Amino acid sequence: MNQISTNNDSRKKALHYFFSKVVGPLGFKFTPDEELMNFLLEQEVILEKKHGIPYCPCQPLRNDRSRDMQIVCPCIPFHRKHFDGIKRCWCGLFVHKDVLDPDTLPQLPPEEVTYE
Amino acid sequence: MSKKFVKAILTNEIAKGGMKAIELNGNEIVVCNNEGKYYSVQRRCGHMNAPLDLGTLDGIYLTCPMHCAQFDITNGEALSGPVPPDISHEIMSPVIGKYMQNIGKLMEQVKTVSIQTFKTKVENGWVFIEI
Repeated sequence: MNQISTNNDSRKKALHYFFSKVVGPLGFKFTPDEELMNFLLEQEVILEKKHGIPYCPCQPLRNDRSRDMQIVCPCIPFHRKHFDGIKRCWCGLFVHKDVLDPDTLPQLPPEEVTYE
Repeated sequence: MSKKFVKAILTNEIAKGGMKAIELNGNEIVVCNNEGKYYSVQRRCGHMNAPLDLGTLDGIYLTCPMHCAQFDITNGEALSGPVPPDISHEIMSPVIGKYMQNIGKLMEQVKTVSIQTFKTKVENGWVFIEI
């Protein structure tokens, strides 16, 4: 919908800047896997160009505004318990600050997480 | 016509992280202070001409107050277009509803473009802008 000739790299840099401010106080950081981070941010820029909003690239849009707003990146506040349980967000763009090797983290749905 | 630097505004009139709209030789300009470094951009948004000085400045990113289009103040690049509003829960008459639909269709045709930047320098406590 947005007729904008955005340079994807510039927008990725801007999203990185804004997201860092949000996820840091929540105890999360960007994944140390830079290739994955770049790939996911690129997908968000593409989604933003299409929909006007950088949705999570790994979750389906339901055409229900109130539900779709819960997957706007960074969606951590809407899924806090689940993501704290798996120490990462659903797509893996963000991990807990103490995580050094994100490959060891399983991507489990909420019902399969053992909460402490 | 050759350009020259024009005395624009005192540096202490804009706090760090702040911005201010000025008019200089017929140009509407927003002067931004990013951590003591000054940048100047056109005042009108590259989407629908809203006054950008009424938006928000966060680092080098300027967000329009009207539809939240974002721009990089260092080079004027348009980084994102308008964020679609949610009016699905608004109660409105059929006439207003039809009007809003038409506005929506028109807005789909509006392109967000980058904004003009102006060379800016600081001397003796003044911001100078090249016009």
